[in-house]
Amino acid sequence: MLFPRFLAILPLDRPGLVRLSLFAMIELQNVTKIYPNGVRALNNVSLTIPAGDFVFLVGPSGAGKSTFLRLLFREELPTEGQVIVDGKDIVTMPEGRVPYLRRNLGIVLQDFQLLKRRTVAENVAFGLRVIGAPENVINARVQEALEQVGLSHKRRMYPDELSGGEQQRVCIARAVVNNPLILITDEPTGNLDPMISLEIVQLFLEINARGTTVIMATHNHHLVNKLRKRVIALVEGRIIKDEPGGTYAYE
Amino acid sequence: MGFDSLVFFFSEALTNLRRAGMMTFVTVSTIAVALLLMGTFLLASMNMESFLARLQEEAMVTAFLVPGTASDRVSALKLQITAFEEVTDVTVVTPEAAARELFSDPADQKLLEVGLGEGTNPLPYTIRMKVRSSHDLPALIEKVKGLPQVESVSYGEEAFRQFQGLSNLLWIGSLLVIILLGLASLFIVYNTVRLTLFMRREEVTIMRLVGATNWFIRWPFVIEGFLHGLLGAAIALVILAFGTPFIMARLAALVPFFRFEPGAVALVKLSVKLCLMGVVLGISGSLLCLRDLNAFGREL
Repeated sequence: MLFPRFLAILPLDRPGLVRLSLFAMIELQNVTKIYPNGVRALNNVSLTIPAGDFVFLVGPSGAGKSTFLRLLFREELPTEGQVIVDGKDIVTMPEGRVPYLRRNLGIVLQDFQLLKRRTVAENVAFGLRVIGAPENVINARVQEALEQVGLSHKRRMYPDELSGGEQQRVCIARAVVNNPLILITDEPTGNLDPMISLEIVQLFLEINARGTTVIMATHNHHLVNKLRKRVIALVEGRIIKDEPGGTYAYE
Repeated sequence: MGFDSLVFFFSEALTNLRRAGMMTFVTVSTIAVALLLMGTFLLASMNMESFLARLQEEAMVTAFLVPGTASDRVSALKLQITAFEEVTDVTVVTPEAAARELFSDPADQKLLEVGLGEGTNPLPYTIRMKVRSSHDLPALIEKVKGLPQVESVSYGEEAFRQFQGLSNLLWIGSLLVIILLGLASLFIVYNTVRLTLFMRREEVTIMRLVGATNWFIRWPFVIEGFLHGLLGAAIALVILAFGTPFIMARLAALVPFFRFEPGAVALVKLSVKLCLMGVVLGISGSLLCLRDLNAFGREL
């Protein structure tokens, strides 16, 4: 089984080719999420994120950042409102289509989520393996993705033999091996020191430069203030600030 | 499903079998024990059935004619019966022969000489016939009953019914045992697979995250269940193959008329049945665990 996406794959060293116009990659309209236990995680949230954007999502713990991200890869459904990702309505989307939505998304979480019994290369390959990609495509793409995160020399190592920053880079390689439209990251630098965190964000910028929309939820105000990207601040489930080139402050 | 995926599924399943070690052992031996018992019961009822079939096939149908039927009428009747397609062998027993048979014991011989001479023999002509197959028995009896001069028909129905009852009981019993054992082992298999699934929840979570379809996630588990079942069935069959002749020899020594030589076809059928049951057990145990994969996202 060969997917057109593989045939159309662009070399990772030719930035900007996939960057499309300003069509909305993500659109939320009056989204409210109330969990079964009564917690109101999102309250009437509306926003648009155009393709190719780089967005920092900030706010105190419990402000609804993770809920927002989980809506995007349809791990949660909104209680009210509409969520459109890559032109697809995730509310009306049948259960069986969800995996196909996720194949267009790269997801990186705070805890590294690597399989300890598989090598670095196998972990990265996992993202392609599960969508039934042929072996030769897998090998080529894994090599590319590992080169991109600067870990191709450690491809045969196991996650436990790597540092935290390296493990997170493996996760990023796994997330981008599929050339995703959107990279969704939830506190990816939460367990890492400032230097390594900067390296990780540098990677996100590179990925963004190739056309992937990046959304990063973070508490790292140094990074946010340094990079001056679009900042969306959530407090108690509401957007209290959404400005391009913004800073971390949400008080 | 591409070939590469298939290779991936099988290598995953095999790796998991090896890693699960103890779990694999528990699952396989549970299935093996269940199938061994099921197999024993199936063999026993097969046994009973073949015994019954033999009994039926060797059964003679005896037609008693109206007393005083002339011997030329008897020969005509014999011809008529011989023409029936259900019949293989027909013999006419004259009253004299019947009497001799009746008093075949030397002690009774004197009685015959004393009491029953020419013209005093109360026994009627009888016609004995062999049935081609036990299935034809009811039809044949009806036909013979319908003939003139035939007063009554007997075919050892009492013994036959008793055996039939016993065989039915054995069937119902083994069916019950098979269902109960099946449920019990399904429960155990389900629980062990749940444990292995728990051991691999991280992997399943990641698979879901990177866009694996539910069936892609299930396949290695299904193959594992299949291998569990097949392995269990193989163990059960080996034990049955070595155990049955041993037990049969003991049984034959105890009950002389009890002999059991199932055909090769029957044995192959039994093996296939057991393998199928094992595979169904293994796979359904896996599938039961994997009904709701959405629960795995909740741990993210």
